[in-house]
Amino acid sequence: MKIIVLLGRVLDPRGIMVNRRRGRVFVNREEYILQPADRCALEAALRVKDAIGAEVVALPRGPLPDDDVLRLALATGADRAIHIVGQAACDDAAWTKVLAAAVERLGGADLILTGATTLDTGQGQLGPRLAEALGWPQAVGAWAVETDGSRVRAIVRRDGTFVALEADLPAMVTVAAGALKPRYPDGARLINIYKGVGEIASALEVWQASDLVGGEALKPLLERRGQDFPPERELGTRITGTTEEIARAAANALRERL
Amino acid sequence: MEFALNEEQRMFRNMFRDFAAKEVAPRAEEMDHQEALPADILRKAAEQGFLGATLPEKYFGAELDGVSYAMLLEALAGACASVAVGVATHVSLAAMPILEYGTEAQKEEWLSPMAAGEVIGAFALTEPDAGSDGQALTTRATPDGEAVVLDGVKTWVGNGQIAGLFLTFARGPEGIEAYLVPADAPGLTVGYREPTLGLRSLSFNTIYLEGCRVPQANRLGGAGEGWAIAQRALDRFAIALAATGLGVAADAVEVASRFATERVQFGVPIARKQAIQEYVAGAYIEVEALRYLVYRTAWLADQGGDFSTEASALKVFGARVARSVTNRMLQVMGGYGFMEDYPMARKYRDARMLGIIGGPTELHAVRVAQRIFAGHDLEITL
Amino acid sequence: MDFTFSPEHRALRRLIREFVESEVVPLAAELDREHKVPYETMRKLGEIGLLGVCFPQEYGGMGAGETGYCILMEELGRVCANTAVNVGAHIGIGAMAIYLDGNEEQKRKYLTPLSRGQKIAAFGLTESNAGSDAAAIRTRAVREGDSWILDGGKVFITNGGYADIVTVLAVTDPVLGPRGGITAFIVETQWDGFKVAREEDKMGIRGSSTAELVFEELRVPHENVLGKVGEGFVTFMKSLDMGRLTLGAACLGGAQTMLEACVRWAKTRRQFGEELAHKQSVQWMIANMATEIEALRSLVYRVAWLVDTGQPFTQLAAMCKLYGSEVLSRAVDMTIQIHGGLGLTRDFPVEQAFRDARINEIFEGTNEVQRIVIASNIFQEYGVRIRP
Repeated sequence: MKIIVLLGRVLDPRGIMVNRRRGRVFVNREEYILQPADRCALEAALRVKDAIGAEVVALPRGPLPDDDVLRLALATGADRAIHIVGQAACDDAAWTKVLAAAVERLGGADLILTGATTLDTGQGQLGPRLAEALGWPQAVGAWAVETDGSRVRAIVRRDGTFVALEADLPAMVTVAAGALKPRYPDGARLINIYKGVGEIASALEVWQASDLVGGEALKPLLERRGQDFPPERELGTRITGTTEEIARAAANALRERL
Repeated sequence: MEFALNEEQRMFRNMFRDFAAKEVAPRAEEMDHQEALPADILRKAAEQGFLGATLPEKYFGAELDGVSYAMLLEALAGACASVAVGVATHVSLAAMPILEYGTEAQKEEWLSPMAAGEVIGAFALTEPDAGSDGQALTTRATPDGEAVVLDGVKTWVGNGQIAGLFLTFARGPEGIEAYLVPADAPGLTVGYREPTLGLRSLSFNTIYLEGCRVPQANRLGGAGEGWAIAQRALDRFAIALAATGLGVAADAVEVASRFATERVQFGVPIARKQAIQEYVAGAYIEVEALRYLVYRTAWLADQGGDFSTEASALKVFGARVARSVTNRMLQVMGGYGFMEDYPMARKYRDARMLGIIGGPTELHAVRVAQRIFAGHDLEITL
Repeated sequence: MDFTFSPEHRALRRLIREFVESEVVPLAAELDREHKVPYETMRKLGEIGLLGVCFPQEYGGMGAGETGYCILMEELGRVCANTAVNVGAHIGIGAMAIYLDGNEEQKRKYLTPLSRGQKIAAFGLTESNAGSDAAAIRTRAVREGDSWILDGGKVFITNGGYADIVTVLAVTDPVLGPRGGITAFIVETQWDGFKVAREEDKMGIRGSSTAELVFEELRVPHENVLGKVGEGFVTFMKSLDMGRLTLGAACLGGAQTMLEACVRWAKTRRQFGEELAHKQSVQWMIANMATEIEALRSLVYRVAWLVDTGQPFTQLAAMCKLYGSEVLSRAVDMTIQIHGGLGLTRDFPVEQAFRDARINEIFEGTNEVQRIVIASNIFQEYGVRIRP
C-alpha cells in the first residue's frame, strides 16, 4: 500500500496581525507552519500505516521555498518525502500537472490524501483537480478515513449530518481541518533530518518540476490583481430569558447552523 | 521642631503594639488562608476604640491625633496588613468624610455605630473603566422627588463583603456627588469578590447599583462637591496606606534580622555576611526615613488645609519602601522566605498591593510633578 | 559571528511551541490553583523525546544540545513557570548529574527512561542547614559490603514528592569533607528507607512539588555510586552550572510573555482620555523591559553555544541565573504596575506570574551566592582567593 500526502505551508496566524484600518496584514513574527488541514491528512495517512501498514510519501502541494514541512512529515512518521522544486508563481492548475507526473514517476499510488482547504487562501481545488487528472474517484472534506487496502471509506459532512462515501482504490480523499488530532513529530528524528544523520536523512529527495513537465505547462492560469478583506463578521445575537428559554433558543440556533 | 512622641502618644503606641501582638499576629496566617477578617477581631478592635480612631469622643471615637492613628495602622500592619487596610478604609475613607462634610443628622446617624463597629464603612469610587480616572465615572445619580436613584457598577470596593455603609460616588446633574448608601438599600447588590494577590483577608468586591434608591438627605456635602470629598478622602487614605507599608516593612526587617542571626551558613550566622548586612541596613534606613515622613505628613494633615501633594509624595515613597524592603528581607530568608509557613511571603504579597490600591504610584508621582511645575507656571494635565 | 539559530533548532522551537500551546497553556492556571504537578505533561514531553532534549540519542535523548535545551526552557517559561520548574529539576539537575558523571551501565539503566519520561528525576542536595553552603551537608553514607547505608534527609527538593529517581549527595568521609569526602548516589525512591516526609506550601510555583525527604537505613548498592567515591561534590556543582543556564532561559521566556502582556494591555486600556501606551511612564517600563530581555537573550544563547562547543562557561552560567532572575522579577513587577488592579487579581495570570517569578532569585543557589561565585572567579584571575 502506498499513500501520497500533499503538504503545504502557511504563515503561523499567531504571528500576524490583521489591520483593517490600514488594509494590511502585518507580519510580526515570520514563522511558517504546516497547513492545518494537510496536517490532518498526514495524520490520516499515518493512522492507516499504523493499522494495516503502508509506505507514506510526502509531496509539496505547491512550490515551496523551503522543505521544512516535508522534514516535519518525515519526523512525524512519513517514510519518504520529495521536495519538488518549481517556480513560485505556479498555481494549483499548473501544479496538478506536476503532481500527476510525479505520481506516475513514483509508480502510482493507492491513496492520495491532502487537506480539504488551505488556511490562508481558502483554496480546495488541488485535490479534486488531481483526482480528475488521474481519473480517480474522490471524496472531499473527510472527517475520518478508513481503508482495508482495496476500498476506502471516508466520512464527510453533508446537509448537517455525516455520510459515508466508499470507493475502490486508487482514490483521492481530502481531509477537513480539525478532523483528527495530529500526533507530534519525534524530536530525535526531527533533529536527525536537519543534521543529516541516520537513514532518515536519505529519505528526503529533491526533484525539479521542469524535469516532470514541460515549461509551458507550468504557466499559471490565475492572475493576482490585488487583495481585499472579506466583509467584517456580523455581531451575534443576544439571547435573553430564563435559563430554559436561553438553552432552547441556543439549541435551535445551533441546529439551524448545521 | 519636636521629634519625640508625647507621653500620650507613647502610651497609645504601647497599647497598639500590645493589641497587634496579642490579638492579630497569632491569627494572621489563618486569616490569610481563610481570606476573611474574623468578626471577633473587629469587635475587639472596636472595644479598644480603633474603629472610631480619629472620630471625636462625642461619637464614641478615640479622638486620636494623626500621628497616633498612623502608629495604630503601623502596629496593626506589622501583624497583618489586611486588618490595617480594613481599618483604614473604614476610618479614613468612610468615617472621616462624614465627619468633615456630613450634616449633624448624618453624623448622628452613622458615626457612633461606625465607632462601635456595628457598621463597617466602605468607599465605592472605582469603576471598571474608571480606575484612577475619577472624571470618567459613569455611575449616574438621578433625582426622583425626595429620593435619588443610583445606577452603575463599582469595582474594587474594599471591605465590600462586610460593609454596612457604602460611601458611593456618582454623576449627578451638577457634577460628581457623594451618597451614603446603606448596604440594605434596595437595588444595591454586593457582587464578585476579587481573589487577590495580597491583603487576602480584606474583601474587594464589585457593587451593583440597579435603580438603587436613597433619600436626597443621604447626599454627603453640597451638589457637585463629590469629587472634592473623594480627593480629600483619598489623600487621607494615602497616608494610611503609607503607614501600613511602614508597619509591614518594619516588621519584615525585624523578622528577617532574627532569621539572619539564627541561620548558619559557611560556619557563621548569615548576619555576619556583608551582603546580608547591606540588605538589612539598607532596609532599616528606608524604614526610618519612611517612618518620619509618615508621622510628619500625618501631623500636617491635622493642621488643616491642603496636604494632597505631601500625601501623594508619601504614597509613592511608602509603596516603594514596602515593596523593596519586603523584597530584600524575603531574599535574606532564602527558600524559607518563599514558603507560606513563614510570614515573609505574605508580607511580600501584601506589600505589592500597596503600590496600586488607592491609586497607582505613577499617578501619585504625576500629582507631585503637577504641584512642582505649577510653581513654575506650567499646567500638567493627566 | 553568527547570531542565527540553525534550521534544526528552528524546527525544534516550532515543535515545542506547538506542543506548549496545546498541552501546557490549557493547564497553566489549574496547576497553580489545584497545587498539581504536571505529571501527564511530563509523560507527553517524554514521549516525543523532549525530556532528553540535550542528551545523546543512544540514551533515549534527542541530541539537540544545550541550545535545544535552552529553547525548551524558554518556551516553557513563556507559558508556564510550573512546568518549566518540573522539567528543569528533572533534566537540568536531576538527570544531568547522571549524564555528566554516570557510567555506561548507569546511563543505560537510568538516563534512558528519564529521557523518555518513563521515570522522573530529582536532585537531592539541599539540607535544612546546608542551603547555599552546600558543603555543610550531614546526610551520612556508610559502606557495608557491597552497599552503602544512607541516613539523613534533604529539604526543598523540587520534584521530590513524585520522583522515581533522586540523585543524593552524602558524606562518606567526614574528615575530608567537600575535598574527597562527599559522594553522589543514584537512589530509587521505591527502596525501603526512603520517605517523603512532607511537601511545602509555597507562595509560588505551586504546581511543583517541593519535598522534604528522609533516609532511614536506606541501602544503596555500590554500583549506584555516581562518579567516583569522594567526588560527588564536583558532580553536583557541575550539574548546578548547567541548571543555572537553563533557569536563565526559563526566565527569558517568562519576561518575554510579560512584555507582550504589557503591550497588549497598554494599547487597550484607556485612562485620562488616551491609551496607556501614550503615557511616558508606561513607555519607559516597556523600553526597559525590552532592552533587558534582549540582553538576556544574547547572554543565554551565548552560554548555550559555549556549552555546545565545549568551552568553559561556569562564570557566565552564574551570570545567566543572576541576571535572568532579576530581569524576570523586574518585568513581572512592571507588568503588575501597568495592569493596575487587574494585575492583583488571581483571575488574571499576572498575579500568578508575580508569585512564581520570585523563587528564581532564590533556588539553585541564591543570587547572593551567584555574586560570590562571580566575584571569586574575577578575583581569582588576579590571584586573590575569596572565602564565601
